[in-house]
Amino acid sequence: MTILATTVACAFLIVLASVGFGLQKSMTEQLMKEQIVTEINVVGKEGQSDQKVQKKDLKEFENRKDVSAIIERTNVFAPAEAKLGNRTNNQMSNITITDMAAEQKANIKLDRGRVAKTPNEIVVGYHFGKNLWTKKEAADYEKQMENNAKEAKEPKGYEEDILGKTIELKISKMDEKTGEEGEAKTYDLKVVGVTKKPSYEWASDSTVYVSNGMQKDITGFLKSEKDSGMIEKTLSVYADNFEHVGQLTTDLEDEGYYVDSITKKLDSINLFFMAFKIGLIFVGVIAVLISAIGIFNTMTMAVTERTQEIGIMKAIGASPNVIRKMFLLESAYIGILGSVLGIIISYGVSFLVNKIIPVILSSVSEGEASAAELSITFSHIPVSLVLIATLISAGVAILSGLNPAIKATRTNVLTALRREL
Amino acid sequence: MISVKHIHHSFKVGKKGRENEIKVLKDVSLTVEKGEIACIVGRSGSGKSTLLNLISGYIAPTKGKIMIDGTDVTKYSEKEWAAFRLEHFGFIFQSFQLIPSLTTFENIELPLTLKGVHPSERKQRVNEMLHRVGLENHAGHYPNELSGGQQQRVSIARALILNPSIILADEPTGSLDSETEQEILEFIRQLNRERGITFVIITHDDEVASIANTKFHLSDGVLEKGEETVEV
Repeated sequence: MTILATTVACAFLIVLASVGFGLQKSMTEQLMKEQIVTEINVVGKEGQSDQKVQKKDLKEFENRKDVSAIIERTNVFAPAEAKLGNRTNNQMSNITITDMAAEQKANIKLDRGRVAKTPNEIVVGYHFGKNLWTKKEAADYEKQMENNAKEAKEPKGYEEDILGKTIELKISKMDEKTGEEGEAKTYDLKVVGVTKKPSYEWASDSTVYVSNGMQKDITGFLKSEKDSGMIEKTLSVYADNFEHVGQLTTDLEDEGYYVDSITKKLDSINLFFMAFKIGLIFVGVIAVLISAIGIFNTMTMAVTERTQEIGIMKAIGASPNVIRKMFLLESAYIGILGSVLGIIISYGVSFLVNKIIPVILSSVSEGEASAAELSITFSHIPVSLVLIATLISAGVAILSGLNPAIKATRTNVLTALRREL
Repeated sequence: MISVKHIHHSFKVGKKGRENEIKVLKDVSLTVEKGEIACIVGRSGSGKSTLLNLISGYIAPTKGKIMIDGTDVTKYSEKEWAAFRLEHFGFIFQSFQLIPSLTTFENIELPLTLKGVHPSERKQRVNEMLHRVGLENHAGHYPNELSGGQQQRVSIARALILNPSIILADEPTGSLDSETEQEILEFIRQLNRERGITFVIITHDDEVASIANTKFHLSDGVLEKGEETVEV
């Protein structure tokens, strides 16, 4: 029964702590999915609050082995629409003017095609073609949305391959005060590449990547103030691999740059979850301590019941150390066996939790999210958790047996043998 | 050789603060030579068990000195006594004192385990000893499955397994019938003859005392003058 209590306590400790590990793993994976893990955004520099950092400022970083590319982008948020025949896409999230060669080195992942090599070539987002609607399709969809938004189905859009097609990209000026569209300019641009499908099913990517060669033309046409909001410049440093992001982030910060990278976000998450996991382990340890009371009782009874045996052993030459070790080993055996069984049970519970909870949540969400979409790890048991739990369980078991073991060493030989004095 | 010099021993009995001191041994001195069978005889309450307990190291004398094989063991700590007992002594108890949860094999093996002898050597030595005491067919039996004589032979086997120079026996035949008693006494004589083991036996039985080379008579904690040395 004592072993059973230790097993249950150890399993409880592991399963409880595994929730912290599982949620941390889920959040980390989610974060890594959402953004490019090797990307470090440089948002400013100490002592230069009125000046944007430019690519030339980071010259000393360009030649580093751990830097694959430094990319300066211009994001255009002016009203824009793309046309292909009788189809129009006015759902583009933004137009990004960038160094295509550098993008290829560091960032952009293509589903098909290649990066632009000339100013009149573009790369478009995966759903760009899908969002090219005819007027009728747009009108039908709008009607459906008015009647019943929940049941409205988006048009299929342009179903042929957009690769190789030439689109008309119309960019309009906008009065910053009234919000009215003004003069427009149209560019004929050939689609030479399509980006990879986004990680999330719900995401829609209609970005248009335009070569640096168009920079002067487009920004010159828009003639916006740099802080108007229609044009935004960003600067990103790309590490050659995820392992170098941390060091690169630190080095940039040491130079006085304000940066944002996945490692900084992960650091915050990790700190939070460290505290969370410690809290969970603390609660789990309480269960282990309760089981320790059982071990203490068991060992105390064992010493009492085996008084004669202890006396005989001492009588024939067993030292106090040997007697103490004997009982400590028995306590350790209870702790270790309980831990092993607890670990096995906790893996089983963890497996069931990860299978069952998404199904429950899916049914509770009334079908809005399927079990597959809720691919969250609720319980994760890393090797470190197994080791921590085993150490705690075995350690507490040995400590519980310490007092009875010491008591055993104090057994009076003659009393134990019931000799007449 | 065992040398007991001017041993005084008393016990305090009664409630704390109002204790009575009972003198159990009064100025006892004796010597047991190497290779002897020495018997300490006396009636119940004469102090003979206390004397054996002092020689065994289970209790420390109130006054006096005990030397065993040239070593002053009077002020030994519990740890030192445990090591000394394992090295020099074998014990035979009146009520056998076998561990009920261990088999015959395991009971005999116990001193070897305490000494840290390798398992393969332990197995060999125990099997030899089982053959020596005639219990090879009872290796797997538990003490409650053995007769009194068989249990005492297990006890003797356990006492001999580490080849001690001295065996201390407290009423070794006290729980046995007369036929078995004779077997055990003959066995003791044989061990003394063949291996030169020194025996210190306490008894109130003259039959048992008859095997001794030397007899010490204790009466009310006092050793009666004139030890008997008998050719056996």
